[in-house]
Amino acid sequence: MDATFTINKKLITVNLKGNETLLEVLRDYLSLTGTKTACQESECGTCTVMINGKANLSCITLAANVQGEEITTIEGLAQGDVLHPVQQAFIEHGSVQCGFCIPGMIMSSVALLEKNPTPTQTEIEYALDGNICRCAGYPKIFEAVHDAGKKLVSMRAQKKHGPNS
Amino acid sequence: MSNIYSLVILESMLLNPLTLHLPKTSLEAARLYKELEDSKVLAGGTFLLNSMKLLKTKGTKTAKNILSLSKVEELKGVSIEGDTLSIKAMTRINELLEFPLPEGHLKILHTVCTNISTNPIRNMATVGGNLTCRYTWTEMGAVMIALDAQMHFLGPDGKEEIISPEEFFKNAARSEKLFTHVTIKTQKTARTAYRRVKKTVHVDVPSLALCLKTEIKDKKWYNTRIGINNGVAFAQRDPILEEFLNKSTSSPNLGKEALEHLTTAIYDTRSSDYKKHIFRISLKSAIEELAKT
Repeated sequence: MDATFTINKKLITVNLKGNETLLEVLRDYLSLTGTKTACQESECGTCTVMINGKANLSCITLAANVQGEEITTIEGLAQGDVLHPVQQAFIEHGSVQCGFCIPGMIMSSVALLEKNPTPTQTEIEYALDGNICRCAGYPKIFEAVHDAGKKLVSMRAQKKHGPNS
Repeated sequence: MSNIYSLVILESMLLNPLTLHLPKTSLEAARLYKELEDSKVLAGGTFLLNSMKLLKTKGTKTAKNILSLSKVEELKGVSIEGDTLSIKAMTRINELLEFPLPEGHLKILHTVCTNISTNPIRNMATVGGNLTCRYTWTEMGAVMIALDAQMHFLGPDGKEEIISPEEFFKNAARSEKLFTHVTIKTQKTARTAYRRVKKTVHVDVPSLALCLKTEIKDKKWYNTRIGINNGVAFAQRDPILEEFLNKSTSSPNLGKEALEHLTTAIYDTRSSDYKKHIFRISLKSAIEELAKT
């Protein structure tokens, strides 16, 4: 079947079989390999993408089931050469060790901060509870999310009131 | 080169071949539910797709037809009309968590949702899936039994059937009709407590879930309902404990005393003494919580 999605703000039509997961379509058909594949059984969170602004696991999402929906992957966050504030904060805080969990961590963080740019530590831990970092680099990751939230608030204020606000 | 590419894709398939059905109305879905052979219903997919993947790795056959409810708008949403809360089958756990429930005993649903699995799972998993997936360890069954909910099903002829969760789980969570929604009456004087224990810190499979609903007037307990999921059988009530509590008055020792009045078969089906103990202390603390109010 032909299924159309909005992936990273682009309308894309893919010829699918019913049994293909979104993870397979992103990685194998569309070469969007920033979305990682690891446990493939919804435990680790490396395959997290945003579907309609919410963090979802692409390994347990049938691609045909989300046709017509808006999907954002890690490749869709940066605007040209300018990284998303969450990506930038992860770099600045040295939040990346082996890096394998990071795309999923970032997608969950972006989904959280879109809804709540000033989360508490508990809210961050709760929102990222589906993303496992095997390097146990959580403190730096949480620091980056706090910082990115502050940057997003400041960016939104600037957008609303102008750069001198 | 293109042949090699195709082979790689086939090798990477996580699921066996299947036909995905995407009805747009609940009646269409109810008809397909009745008509399709060798089929499974796909709600959030967090149980079904994982189990289908696991079966594939074991070389076991999986359902050929998947009936997805994702495009049936009628099956989505939470609402309150008068004194009745209605939760549609395709309501995601996080949607219920974000719904402003009225003050009172229904707030327990927020506690239940908060404790389910992880954030992306709560974004995907549905209330209907949790109730009807036929895994014995899901928690919503015990909660719906305690809250005296009603489960609504739709037949292929468009006729609705309403049954209690207790009956539904006594029938091993089987129905020939499509589950559409659950309704719960608000009860101003009712109080609730909920306990859930998961298998390990990292494996979010509940070992037990129990929910108590009662009314307490002048410290006397009445209309107590206890829904229990021991993870072995489907969710059920504990009639002996309910009877005891309905003759009881709140006291600091009530939790301890209650443990002498259990339908022991429910609690002792767990495999280890540790699990049996966890069950008892969870029950005791839930009763103590209500006795303090």
